[in-house]
Amino acid sequence: GPCRVPMTMTEIRAGFTAIKAKIQARDPIRTLSILSHPHSLHKVKSSDRCCITHHLLNFYVDKVFRHCKTEDSFINRKISSIANSFLSVRRKLEQCREQNKCTCGQESTEKFNQVLANYEGLNVTSAAMKSLGELDILLDWMEKS
Amino acid sequence: LLEILGEDTWLPAPQNISMLSTNMKHFLTWNPVIIQGETVRYSVEFQGEYERDYGNESWIPTWECSLITATVCNLTEDISAPVPYNLRVRAHVGLRRSEWGTLKGFFNPLTTSLTPPLMKVIADGYHLLVELEDMGPAFQFCVLYWKKGQESRMQQKVVKEVRSVVHLDIMEPGADYCVKAQTHVEVINRSSSFSQTQCVRTQG
Amino acid sequence: SGELYCSLPNPRNVHFESINMKNILHWSAPEGTGDGVLYKVKYSVYGVGKWIRKPECKNINRTWCDLSNETSDYEEQYYASVKAFLNGMCSDWMETTRFNPLTDTKIDPPMVSVSSTEKSISIILTAPEVWKRSPEGESVSLLQVYPGLQYNVSVLNKKTKKRWFFSISNNTLVVPWLEPGTAYCVSAQIHVTTPLLHSGFSKEYCIATLQDKTADEAIK
Repeated sequence: GPCRVPMTMTEIRAGFTAIKAKIQARDPIRTLSILSHPHSLHKVKSSDRCCITHHLLNFYVDKVFRHCKTEDSFINRKISSIANSFLSVRRKLEQCREQNKCTCGQESTEKFNQVLANYEGLNVTSAAMKSLGELDILLDWMEKS
Repeated sequence: LLEILGEDTWLPAPQNISMLSTNMKHFLTWNPVIIQGETVRYSVEFQGEYERDYGNESWIPTWECSLITATVCNLTEDISAPVPYNLRVRAHVGLRRSEWGTLKGFFNPLTTSLTPPLMKVIADGYHLLVELEDMGPAFQFCVLYWKKGQESRMQQKVVKEVRSVVHLDIMEPGADYCVKAQTHVEVINRSSSFSQTQCVRTQG
Repeated sequence: SGELYCSLPNPRNVHFESINMKNILHWSAPEGTGDGVLYKVKYSVYGVGKWIRKPECKNINRTWCDLSNETSDYEEQYYASVKAFLNGMCSDWMETTRFNPLTDTKIDPPMVSVSSTEKSISIILTAPEVWKRSPEGESVSLLQVYPGLQYNVSVLNKKTKKRWFFSISNNTLVVPWLEPGTAYCVSAQIHVTTPLLHSGFSKEYCIATLQDKTADEAIK
Protein backbone atom coordinates (compact mmCIF):
# COMPACT_ATOMS: atom_id res chain seq x y z
CA GLY A 1 0.00 0.00 0.00
CA PRO A 2 1.04 3.66 0.03
CA CYS A 3 2.61 3.38 3.47
CA ARG A 4 5.61 1.13 3.15
CA VAL A 5 6.65 1.54 6.78
CA PRO A 6 9.94 -0.32 7.27
CA MET A 7 8.46 -2.75 9.73
CA THR A 8 11.18 -4.89 11.21
CA MET A 9 9.03 -7.68 12.51
CA THR A 10 12.01 -9.90 13.24
CA GLU A 11 12.05 -8.94 16.93
CA ILE A 12 8.29 -9.40 17.26
CA ARG A 13 8.39 -12.69 15.36
CA ALA A 14 11.23 -13.98 17.58
CA GLY A 15 9.39 -13.00 20.76
CA PHE A 16 6.17 -14.66 19.58
CA THR A 17 7.89 -17.84 18.38
CA ALA A 18 9.34 -18.26 21.87
CA ILE A 19 5.85 -18.39 23.45
CA LYS A 20 3.63 -19.51 20.54
CA ALA A 21 3.10 -23.11 21.69
CA LYS A 22 2.32 -22.08 25.28
CA ILE A 23 -0.08 -19.31 24.25
CA GLN A 24 -1.94 -21.36 21.63
CA ALA A 25 -2.24 -24.22 24.14
CA ARG A 26 -4.22 -21.81 26.36
CA ASP A 27 -6.78 -21.33 23.57
CA PRO A 28 -9.05 -24.42 23.48
CA ILE A 29 -11.51 -22.97 20.95
CA ARG A 30 -10.68 -24.41 17.53
CA THR A 31 -13.85 -23.35 15.83
CA LEU A 32 -13.44 -19.57 16.11
CA SER A 33 -10.77 -17.21 14.87
CA ILE A 34 -10.35 -13.51 15.56
CA LEU A 35 -8.37 -12.58 12.46
CA SER A 36 -8.83 -15.23 9.79
CA HIS A 37 -12.54 -16.16 9.65
CA PRO A 38 -15.02 -15.56 8.20
CA HIS A 39 -12.90 -13.02 6.26
CA SER A 40 -9.21 -13.80 5.72
CA LEU A 41 -6.66 -11.01 6.11
CA HIS A 42 -5.10 -12.36 2.95
CA LYS A 43 -8.12 -11.24 0.96
CA VAL A 44 -7.64 -7.56 1.93
CA LYS A 45 -7.02 -5.30 -1.08
CA SER A 46 -3.57 -3.67 -1.13
CA SER A 47 -5.17 -0.22 -0.98
CA ASP A 48 -6.73 -1.18 2.34
CA ARG A 49 -3.57 -2.73 3.85
CA CYS A 50 -2.33 0.40 5.54
CA CYS A 51 -5.67 1.19 7.17
CA ILE A 52 -6.23 -2.40 8.37
CA THR A 53 -2.66 -2.51 9.70
CA HIS A 54 -3.26 0.69 11.63
CA HIS A 55 -6.51 -0.65 13.09
CA LEU A 56 -4.97 -3.97 14.05
CA LEU A 57 -1.93 -2.40 15.71
CA ASN A 58 -4.30 -0.29 17.83
CA PHE A 59 -6.47 -3.36 18.49
CA TYR A 60 -3.53 -5.31 19.92
CA VAL A 61 -2.19 -2.37 21.93
CA ASP A 62 -5.53 -1.23 23.31
CA LYS A 63 -7.44 -4.49 23.72
CA VAL A 64 -5.20 -7.55 23.60
CA PHE A 65 -1.88 -7.30 25.42
CA ARG A 66 -3.31 -5.84 28.62
CA HIS A 67 -5.51 -8.92 29.15
CA CYS A 68 -2.76 -11.47 28.57
CA LYS A 69 -0.97 -11.41 31.91
CA THR A 70 -0.07 -14.96 33.00
CA GLU A 71 1.53 -16.65 35.99
CA ASP A 72 4.53 -17.46 33.80
CA SER A 73 7.12 -14.69 34.10
CA PHE A 74 8.88 -15.80 30.90
CA ILE A 75 5.65 -15.35 28.92
CA ASN A 76 4.99 -12.00 30.60
CA ARG A 77 8.42 -10.73 29.61
CA LYS A 78 7.98 -11.78 25.99
CA ILE A 79 4.52 -10.17 25.85
CA SER A 80 6.06 -6.96 27.21
CA SER A 81 8.73 -7.06 24.51
CA ILE A 82 6.11 -7.64 21.80
CA ALA A 83 3.76 -4.96 23.15
CA ASN A 84 6.53 -2.35 23.34
CA SER A 85 7.67 -3.28 19.81
CA PHE A 86 4.07 -2.74 18.64
CA LEU A 87 4.20 0.80 20.05
CA SER A 88 7.35 1.46 18.06
CA VAL A 89 5.87 0.06 14.83
CA ARG A 90 2.65 2.01 15.40
CA ARG A 91 4.62 5.22 15.86
CA LYS A 92 6.32 4.71 12.49
CA LEU A 93 2.97 4.06 10.83
CA GLU A 94 1.54 7.15 12.55
CA GLN A 95 4.09 9.36 10.78
CA CYS A 96 2.85 7.96 7.50
CA ARG A 97 -0.82 8.36 8.43
CA GLU A 98 -0.28 12.01 9.22
CA GLN A 99 0.69 12.50 5.59
CA ASN A 100 -2.82 11.25 4.82
CA LYS A 101 -1.58 8.20 2.92
CA CYS A 102 -3.51 5.66 4.90
CA THR A 103 -7.14 6.21 4.08
CA CYS A 104 -9.84 3.82 5.28
CA GLY A 105 -12.39 2.57 2.75
CA GLN A 106 -15.69 0.94 3.58
CA GLU A 107 -14.31 -2.56 2.99
CA SER A 108 -11.47 -2.17 5.45
CA THR A 109 -13.82 -0.71 8.05
CA GLU A 110 -16.15 -3.70 7.62
CA LYS A 111 -13.23 -6.09 7.80
CA PHE A 112 -12.02 -4.56 11.04
CA ASN A 113 -15.53 -4.49 12.50
CA GLN A 114 -15.67 -8.25 11.84
CA VAL A 115 -12.46 -8.67 13.86
CA LEU A 116 -14.01 -6.69 16.72
CA ALA A 117 -17.20 -8.76 16.52
CA ASN A 118 -15.16 -11.97 16.71
CA TYR A 119 -13.31 -10.54 19.71
CA GLU A 120 -16.42 -9.40 21.54
CA GLY A 121 -18.05 -12.78 20.93
CA LEU A 122 -15.80 -14.26 23.64
CA ASN A 123 -15.06 -13.36 27.23
CA VAL A 124 -12.25 -10.84 27.36
CA THR A 125 -9.49 -13.12 28.63
CA SER A 126 -10.23 -15.89 26.12
CA ALA A 127 -10.53 -13.34 23.33
CA ALA A 128 -7.23 -11.66 24.27
CA MET A 129 -5.35 -14.96 24.57
CA LYS A 130 -6.81 -16.18 21.24
CA SER A 131 -5.81 -12.90 19.57
CA LEU A 132 -2.29 -13.20 20.95
CA GLY A 133 -2.12 -16.78 19.70
CA GLU A 134 -3.00 -15.54 16.22
CA LEU A 135 -0.09 -13.09 16.08
CA ASP A 136 1.63 -15.27 13.45
CA ILE A 137 -1.42 -14.85 11.22
CA LEU A 138 -0.98 -11.07 11.54
CA LEU A 139 2.79 -11.23 11.01
CA ASP A 140 2.50 -13.58 8.01
CA TRP A 141 0.09 -11.11 6.43
CA MET A 142 2.06 -7.96 7.30
CA GLU A 143 5.30 -9.46 6.01
CA LYS A 144 3.74 -10.51 2.76
CA SER A 145 4.88 -7.78 0.37
CA LEU B 1 30.14 6.35 47.91
CA LEU B 2 29.93 2.91 49.51
CA GLU B 3 27.37 2.67 52.35
CA ILE B 4 28.92 0.64 55.20
CA LEU B 5 26.31 0.19 57.90
CA GLY B 6 25.55 -1.80 61.06
CA GLU B 7 23.46 -4.97 61.01
CA ASP B 8 19.92 -3.98 62.09
CA THR B 9 19.43 -0.67 60.36
CA TRP B 10 17.20 -0.39 57.26
CA LEU B 11 18.70 -1.33 53.96
CA PRO B 12 19.76 1.56 51.73
CA ALA B 13 18.72 1.57 48.11
CA PRO B 14 21.50 0.96 45.55
CA GLN B 15 23.06 4.20 44.29
CA ASN B 16 24.89 5.42 41.21
CA ILE B 17 22.67 3.38 38.87
CA SER B 18 23.69 3.66 35.24
CA MET B 19 23.17 1.93 31.90
CA LEU B 20 26.00 0.77 29.68
CA SER B 21 24.73 -0.03 26.18
CA THR B 22 26.95 -0.97 23.28
CA ASN B 23 25.97 -2.74 20.07
CA MET B 24 22.48 -3.55 21.34
CA LYS B 25 23.84 -5.20 24.52
CA HIS B 26 22.40 -3.40 27.53
CA PHE B 27 23.95 -3.63 31.03
CA LEU B 28 22.62 -1.92 34.15
CA THR B 29 25.24 -1.25 36.84
CA TRP B 30 25.11 0.18 40.37
CA ASN B 31 27.26 0.67 43.47
CA PRO B 32 27.32 -2.27 45.87
CA VAL B 33 25.54 -1.92 49.22
CA ILE B 34 27.86 -3.32 51.89
CA ILE B 35 26.62 -4.66 55.25
CA GLN B 36 29.17 -6.25 57.53
CA GLY B 37 28.93 -10.04 57.61
CA GLU B 38 25.92 -10.16 55.22
CA THR B 39 25.47 -11.23 51.63
CA VAL B 40 23.58 -8.52 49.81
CA ARG B 41 21.53 -9.56 46.80
CA TYR B 42 19.83 -7.43 44.18
CA SER B 43 16.72 -7.61 41.99
CA VAL B 44 16.12 -5.58 38.86
CA GLU B 45 12.82 -4.64 37.22
CA PHE B 46 11.94 -2.81 34.02
CA GLN B 47 8.94 -0.83 32.79
CA GLY B 48 8.46 -0.12 29.11
CA GLU B 49 6.39 2.56 27.48
CA TYR B 50 3.59 0.00 27.12
CA GLU B 51 3.52 -0.75 30.83
CA ARG B 52 3.47 2.98 31.63
CA ASP B 53 0.75 3.97 29.17
CA TYR B 54 -1.39 0.81 29.00
CA GLY B 55 -0.31 -1.48 31.83
CA ASN B 56 -1.16 0.48 34.97
CA GLU B 57 2.50 1.51 35.29
CA SER B 58 3.37 -2.08 36.17
CA TRP B 59 6.97 -3.25 36.58
CA ILE B 60 8.32 -6.53 35.26
CA PRO B 61 11.03 -8.61 36.97
CA THR B 62 13.99 -9.24 34.67
CA TRP B 63 14.90 -12.66 33.38
CA GLU B 64 18.46 -12.84 34.65
CA CYS B 65 18.62 -10.58 37.66
CA SER B 66 16.47 -11.76 40.55
CA LEU B 67 18.36 -12.02 43.87
CA ILE B 68 21.78 -11.86 42.25
CA THR B 69 24.97 -10.89 44.08
CA ALA B 70 26.57 -9.16 41.12
CA THR B 71 26.15 -5.39 40.70
CA VAL B 72 25.61 -5.62 36.95
CA CYS B 73 22.58 -6.96 35.07
CA ASN B 74 22.34 -7.96 31.40
CA LEU B 75 19.00 -6.57 30.20
CA THR B 76 19.51 -7.34 26.51
CA GLU B 77 16.86 -10.06 26.38
CA ASP B 78 14.25 -8.04 28.24
CA ILE B 79 14.43 -4.60 26.67
CA SER B 80 14.53 -5.27 22.95
CA ALA B 81 11.94 -2.78 21.70
CA PRO B 82 13.08 0.70 20.59
CA VAL B 83 10.99 2.56 23.20
CA PRO B 84 11.84 4.43 26.45
CA TYR B 85 12.25 2.16 29.49
CA ASN B 86 12.36 2.87 33.24
CA LEU B 87 14.76 0.65 35.21
CA ARG B 88 15.07 0.07 38.94
CA VAL B 89 17.07 -2.11 41.36
CA ARG B 90 16.79 -2.86 45.06
CA ALA B 91 18.89 -4.69 47.63
CA HIS B 92 17.91 -7.74 49.69
CA VAL B 93 19.45 -9.11 52.88
CA GLY B 94 17.53 -12.14 54.02
CA LEU B 95 13.90 -10.97 54.23
CA ARG B 96 14.84 -7.30 54.41
CA ARG B 97 14.49 -5.24 51.24
CA SER B 98 15.65 -1.74 50.42
CA GLU B 99 13.67 0.93 48.62
CA TRP B 100 14.00 0.89 44.86
CA GLY B 101 16.85 2.79 43.30
CA THR B 102 15.71 4.03 39.89
CA LEU B 103 17.80 4.94 36.83
CA LYS B 104 17.61 8.69 36.31
CA GLY B 105 15.67 9.28 33.11
CA PHE B 106 14.55 6.75 30.55
CA PHE B 107 16.77 4.35 28.65
CA ASN B 108 15.87 3.70 25.01
CA PRO B 109 17.69 0.97 23.07
CA LEU B 110 17.69 3.45 20.18
CA THR B 111 20.56 5.22 21.97
CA THR B 112 22.89 2.20 22.09
CA SER B 113 26.38 3.07 20.88
CA LEU B 114 27.35 1.25 17.71
CA THR B 115 30.98 0.46 17.08
CA PRO B 116 32.48 -0.30 13.68
CA PRO B 117 32.86 -4.04 13.02
CA LEU B 118 36.12 -5.93 13.35
CA MET B 119 37.12 -6.72 9.82
CA LYS B 120 39.90 -8.51 7.95
CA VAL B 121 40.37 -8.00 4.22
CA ILE B 122 41.80 -10.88 2.20
CA ALA B 123 43.16 -11.04 -1.34
CA ASP B 124 42.97 -14.63 -2.59
CA GLY B 125 44.25 -14.73 -6.14
CA TYR B 126 42.13 -12.19 -8.03
CA HIS B 127 39.34 -12.34 -5.46
CA LEU B 128 38.63 -9.69 -2.84
CA LEU B 129 37.14 -11.13 0.35
CA VAL B 130 36.29 -9.85 3.82
CA GLU B 131 36.00 -11.58 7.16
CA LEU B 132 33.52 -9.87 9.53
CA GLU B 133 32.82 -10.26 13.23
CA ASP B 134 29.51 -11.95 14.08
CA MET B 135 27.66 -9.38 16.19
CA GLY B 136 24.29 -11.11 16.46
CA PRO B 137 21.08 -11.45 14.44
CA ALA B 138 20.12 -7.77 14.74
CA PHE B 139 23.23 -6.68 12.77
CA GLN B 140 23.80 -6.23 9.06
CA PHE B 141 26.99 -4.84 7.47
CA CYS B 142 27.48 -2.27 4.76
CA VAL B 143 30.82 -2.96 3.08
CA LEU B 144 32.36 -0.35 0.74
CA TYR B 145 35.28 -1.26 -1.54
CA TRP B 146 37.14 0.49 -4.30
CA LYS B 147 40.25 0.34 -6.42
CA LYS B 148 42.88 2.62 -4.91
CA GLY B 149 42.82 5.96 -6.64
CA GLN B 150 39.28 5.41 -7.93
CA GLU B 151 37.37 6.47 -4.81
CA SER B 152 34.64 7.89 -7.00
CA ARG B 153 33.81 4.38 -8.24
CA MET B 154 33.20 2.96 -4.78
CA GLN B 155 31.11 -0.24 -4.67
CA GLN B 156 28.76 -1.30 -1.87
CA LYS B 157 27.70 -4.73 -0.63
CA VAL B 158 25.18 -5.36 2.18
CA VAL B 159 26.00 -8.47 4.17
CA LYS B 160 22.99 -9.70 6.12
CA GLU B 161 24.41 -12.94 7.46
CA VAL B 162 27.93 -13.27 8.65
CA ARG B 163 29.66 -16.35 7.31
CA SER B 164 33.38 -16.69 7.83
CA VAL B 165 34.72 -15.27 4.57
CA VAL B 166 32.41 -13.24 2.35
CA HIS B 167 33.25 -12.79 -1.33
CA LEU B 168 33.17 -9.16 -2.46
CA ASP B 169 34.42 -9.00 -6.02
CA ILE B 170 37.05 -9.74 -8.64
CA MET B 171 40.19 -7.59 -8.70
CA GLU B 172 42.36 -6.54 -11.62
CA PRO B 173 45.88 -7.97 -11.54
CA GLY B 174 48.57 -5.96 -9.75
CA ALA B 175 46.20 -3.37 -8.28
CA ASP B 176 45.50 -2.16 -4.74
CA TYR B 177 41.98 -2.44 -3.40
CA CYS B 178 40.62 -0.83 -0.23
CA VAL B 179 37.70 -1.81 1.99
CA LYS B 180 35.83 -0.30 4.93
CA ALA B 181 32.65 -1.46 6.69
CA GLN B 182 29.96 -0.23 9.08
CA THR B 183 27.23 -2.06 10.98
CA HIS B 184 23.54 -1.34 10.52
CA VAL B 185 20.78 -2.26 13.00
CA GLU B 186 17.44 -2.27 11.22
CA VAL B 187 15.22 -2.36 14.33
CA ILE B 188 16.61 1.03 15.43
CA ASN B 189 17.47 2.13 11.86
CA ARG B 190 20.95 3.32 12.82
CA SER B 191 24.49 2.59 11.60
CA SER B 192 27.93 2.68 13.21
CA SER B 193 30.77 4.78 11.91
CA PHE B 194 33.01 3.13 9.34
CA SER B 195 35.89 0.90 10.31
CA GLN B 196 39.46 1.76 9.49
CA THR B 197 40.14 1.30 5.78
CA GLN B 198 42.19 -1.76 4.92
CA CYS B 199 43.93 -2.21 1.54
CA VAL B 200 45.35 -5.28 -0.18
CA ARG B 201 47.23 -5.85 -3.42
CA THR B 202 46.36 -8.47 -5.96
CA GLN B 203 48.92 -10.78 -7.52
CA GLY B 204 50.20 -10.27 -11.05
CA SER C 1 -23.38 -45.97 16.18
CA GLY C 2 -22.93 -45.08 19.84
CA GLU C 3 -19.48 -44.15 20.95
CA LEU C 4 -17.40 -47.22 21.87
CA TYR C 5 -16.07 -47.64 25.37
CA CYS C 6 -12.95 -45.44 25.18
CA SER C 7 -10.51 -46.73 27.73
CA LEU C 8 -7.72 -47.64 25.31
CA PRO C 9 -4.51 -45.66 25.96
CA ASN C 10 -4.17 -42.68 23.66
CA PRO C 11 -1.94 -42.34 20.58
CA ARG C 12 1.13 -40.35 21.56
CA ASN C 13 3.13 -37.47 20.14
CA VAL C 14 0.58 -36.57 17.45
CA HIS C 15 2.31 -33.98 15.27
CA PHE C 16 2.85 -32.71 11.74
CA GLU C 17 6.13 -33.34 9.96
CA SER C 18 6.36 -30.96 7.02
CA ILE C 19 9.03 -30.69 4.35
CA ASN C 20 8.57 -28.29 1.41
CA MET C 21 4.92 -28.16 2.46
CA LYS C 22 4.39 -31.89 2.16
CA ASN C 23 2.49 -32.18 5.43
CA ILE C 24 2.39 -35.63 7.01
CA LEU C 25 0.63 -36.34 10.28
CA HIS C 26 2.67 -38.67 12.49
CA TRP C 27 1.99 -40.32 15.85
CA SER C 28 3.20 -43.14 18.07
CA ALA C 29 1.11 -46.16 18.99
CA PRO C 30 -0.60 -46.12 22.39
CA GLU C 31 1.65 -47.45 25.14
CA GLY C 32 1.62 -51.20 25.69
CA THR C 33 -0.89 -52.05 22.94
CA GLY C 34 1.26 -54.19 20.62
CA ASP C 35 -0.12 -55.17 17.18
CA GLY C 36 -3.62 -54.91 15.84
CA VAL C 37 -4.30 -51.25 16.69
CA LEU C 38 -6.22 -49.37 14.03
CA TYR C 39 -6.56 -45.60 13.70
CA LYS C 40 -8.88 -42.90 12.38
CA VAL C 41 -7.79 -39.38 11.45
CA LYS C 42 -9.66 -36.10 11.21
CA TYR C 43 -8.53 -32.55 10.66
CA SER C 44 -9.94 -29.04 10.93
CA VAL C 45 -9.16 -25.62 9.58
CA TYR C 46 -8.50 -23.32 12.51
CA GLY C 47 -11.41 -20.92 12.99
CA VAL C 48 -13.85 -23.07 10.99
CA GLY C 49 -16.37 -24.96 13.00
CA LYS C 50 -16.10 -28.58 11.85
CA TRP C 51 -13.81 -31.56 11.94
CA ILE C 52 -13.41 -33.40 8.66
CA ARG C 53 -12.66 -37.12 8.48
CA LYS C 54 -9.86 -38.32 6.22
CA PRO C 55 -11.32 -41.42 4.48
CA GLU C 56 -7.93 -42.67 3.22
CA CYS C 57 -6.77 -42.81 6.82
CA LYS C 58 -9.76 -44.68 8.27
CA ASN C 59 -9.03 -47.99 10.05
CA ILE C 60 -5.37 -47.88 9.09
CA ASN C 61 -2.67 -49.71 11.06
CA ARG C 62 0.22 -47.40 10.04
CA THR C 63 1.09 -44.43 12.25
CA TRP C 64 1.15 -41.67 9.66
CA CYS C 65 -1.29 -40.00 7.32
CA ASP C 66 -0.57 -37.65 4.41
CA LEU C 67 -2.65 -34.50 4.89
CA SER C 68 -0.76 -32.40 2.32
CA ASN C 69 -3.82 -32.04 0.13
CA GLU C 70 -6.03 -30.99 3.02
CA THR C 71 -3.52 -28.47 4.38
CA SER C 72 -2.25 -27.00 1.12
CA ASP C 73 -3.65 -23.50 1.65
CA TYR C 74 -0.74 -21.97 3.53
CA GLU C 75 -2.79 -18.91 4.43
CA GLU C 76 -4.77 -21.10 6.80
CA GLN C 77 -3.79 -22.95 9.96
CA TYR C 78 -4.85 -26.43 10.96
CA TYR C 79 -5.37 -29.01 13.66
CA ALA C 80 -5.40 -32.77 13.16
CA SER C 81 -6.50 -35.53 15.50
CA VAL C 82 -6.08 -39.31 15.81
CA LYS C 83 -8.17 -41.98 17.56
CA ALA C 84 -7.05 -45.59 18.20
CA PHE C 85 -9.17 -48.76 18.17
CA LEU C 86 -8.39 -52.29 19.47
CA ASN C 87 -10.70 -55.22 20.28
CA GLY C 88 -13.80 -53.07 20.52
CA MET C 89 -12.17 -50.45 22.65
CA CYS C 90 -11.06 -47.00 21.60
CA SER C 91 -8.92 -44.13 22.81
CA ASP C 92 -9.70 -40.43 23.06
CA TRP C 93 -9.07 -38.17 20.10
CA MET C 94 -5.54 -36.84 20.43
CA GLU C 95 -4.81 -33.52 18.74
CA THR C 96 -1.78 -31.77 17.29
CA THR C 97 -0.77 -28.27 18.24
CA ARG C 98 -1.87 -25.58 15.78
CA PHE C 99 -0.05 -26.15 12.49
CA ASN C 100 1.00 -23.15 10.35
CA PRO C 101 2.30 -24.54 7.03
CA LEU C 102 4.08 -21.27 6.20
CA THR C 103 6.25 -21.15 9.33
CA ASP C 104 6.25 -24.78 10.45
CA THR C 105 7.55 -26.42 7.26
CA LYS C 106 11.18 -27.43 6.81
CA ILE C 107 12.93 -26.55 3.59
CA ASP C 108 15.19 -28.90 1.64
CA PRO C 109 18.51 -27.55 0.35
CA PRO C 110 18.53 -26.37 -3.26
CA MET C 111 19.72 -28.60 -6.08
CA VAL C 112 23.16 -27.54 -7.27
CA SER C 113 24.58 -28.00 -10.76
CA VAL C 114 28.11 -26.89 -11.54
CA SER C 115 30.08 -26.55 -14.75
CA SER C 116 33.55 -25.21 -15.35
CA THR C 117 35.83 -23.64 -17.89
CA GLU C 118 39.54 -23.13 -17.63
CA LYS C 119 39.25 -20.24 -15.17
CA SER C 120 35.69 -20.16 -13.91
CA ILE C 121 32.90 -22.22 -12.48
CA SER C 122 29.22 -21.64 -13.12
CA ILE C 123 26.65 -22.60 -10.51
CA ILE C 124 22.92 -23.02 -11.10
CA LEU C 125 20.67 -23.45 -8.09
CA THR C 126 17.14 -24.83 -8.11
CA ALA C 127 14.88 -24.32 -5.13
CA PRO C 128 12.84 -27.36 -4.20
CA GLU C 129 9.27 -27.52 -5.42
CA VAL C 130 6.38 -27.10 -3.07
CA TRP C 131 4.31 -30.27 -2.66
CA LYS C 132 1.73 -30.64 -5.44
CA ARG C 133 -1.37 -32.74 -5.77
CA SER C 134 -0.16 -34.81 -8.70
CA PRO C 135 2.98 -35.08 -10.83
CA GLU C 136 1.08 -33.42 -13.68
CA GLY C 137 -0.11 -30.69 -11.40
CA GLU C 138 1.23 -27.16 -11.78
CA SER C 139 4.60 -26.73 -10.10
CA VAL C 140 4.95 -24.03 -7.47
CA SER C 141 8.47 -23.01 -6.50
CA LEU C 142 9.35 -22.04 -2.97
CA LEU C 143 10.32 -18.66 -4.41
CA GLN C 144 6.63 -17.98 -5.02
CA VAL C 145 5.75 -18.84 -1.45
CA TYR C 146 8.69 -16.97 0.11
CA PRO C 147 9.44 -13.94 -2.08
CA GLY C 148 12.40 -12.95 0.14
CA LEU C 149 14.16 -16.26 -0.53
CA GLN C 150 17.95 -16.04 -0.93
CA TYR C 151 20.76 -18.52 -1.42
CA ASN C 152 23.96 -18.77 0.60
CA VAL C 153 26.65 -20.44 -1.52
CA SER C 154 29.90 -21.88 -0.20
CA VAL C 155 32.85 -22.40 -2.59
CA LEU C 156 35.81 -24.41 -1.28
CA ASN C 157 39.19 -24.38 -3.04
CA LYS C 158 40.37 -27.94 -2.43
CA LYS C 159 44.02 -26.98 -2.98
CA THR C 160 44.22 -24.02 -0.61
CA LYS C 161 41.40 -25.30 1.63
CA LYS C 162 39.98 -21.75 1.61
CA ARG C 163 36.19 -21.39 1.66
CA TRP C 164 34.33 -18.35 0.32
CA PHE C 165 30.69 -17.44 0.89
CA PHE C 166 28.34 -15.71 -1.50
CA SER C 167 24.79 -14.46 -0.79
CA ILE C 168 22.68 -14.22 -3.93
CA SER C 169 19.03 -13.57 -4.70
CA ASN C 170 18.90 -14.99 -8.21
CA ASN C 171 19.74 -18.65 -8.79
CA THR C 172 22.91 -18.42 -10.86
CA LEU C 173 26.46 -17.54 -9.88
CA VAL C 174 29.60 -17.41 -11.98
CA VAL C 175 32.93 -17.31 -10.16
CA PRO C 176 35.58 -16.13 -12.64
CA TRP C 177 39.35 -15.73 -12.42
CA LEU C 178 40.00 -19.08 -10.77
CA GLU C 179 43.11 -21.24 -10.99
CA PRO C 180 43.16 -23.67 -13.90
CA GLY C 181 43.34 -27.37 -13.09
CA THR C 182 42.02 -26.86 -9.56
CA ALA C 183 39.16 -28.65 -7.78
CA TYR C 184 36.42 -26.54 -6.26
CA CYS C 185 33.56 -27.88 -4.10
CA VAL C 186 30.23 -26.03 -3.99
CA SER C 187 27.32 -26.34 -1.56
CA ALA C 188 24.33 -24.10 -1.08
CA GLN C 189 21.62 -23.28 1.43
CA ILE C 190 18.25 -21.55 1.19
CA HIS C 191 17.66 -18.61 3.54
CA VAL C 192 14.30 -16.90 4.10
CA THR C 193 14.23 -13.76 6.28
CA THR C 194 10.48 -13.41 6.91
CA PRO C 195 9.47 -15.74 8.38
CA LEU C 196 12.94 -16.83 9.43
CA LEU C 197 13.63 -20.19 7.75
CA HIS C 198 16.87 -21.93 6.75
CA SER C 199 17.45 -25.11 4.79
CA GLY C 200 20.53 -27.12 5.60
CA PHE C 201 23.48 -26.86 3.22
CA SER C 202 23.33 -29.21 0.27
CA LYS C 203 25.95 -31.90 -0.09
CA GLU C 204 29.13 -30.69 -1.83
CA TYR C 205 29.39 -30.83 -5.60
CA CYS C 206 33.02 -30.81 -6.71
CA ILE C 207 34.39 -29.92 -10.13
CA ALA C 208 37.82 -29.03 -11.48
CA THR C 209 38.64 -26.09 -13.69
CA LEU C 210 40.17 -27.22 -16.98
CA GLN C 211 43.90 -27.41 -17.46
CA ASP C 212 45.59 -24.23 -18.75
CA LYS C 213 45.97 -24.84 -22.55
CA THR C 214 48.63 -22.15 -22.99
CA ALA C 215 50.82 -23.91 -20.42
CA ASP C 216 50.29 -27.25 -22.25
CA GLU C 217 51.33 -25.72 -25.63
CA ALA C 218 54.44 -24.21 -24.03
CA ILE C 219 55.48 -27.66 -22.79
CA LYS C 220 55.15 -29.33 -26.22
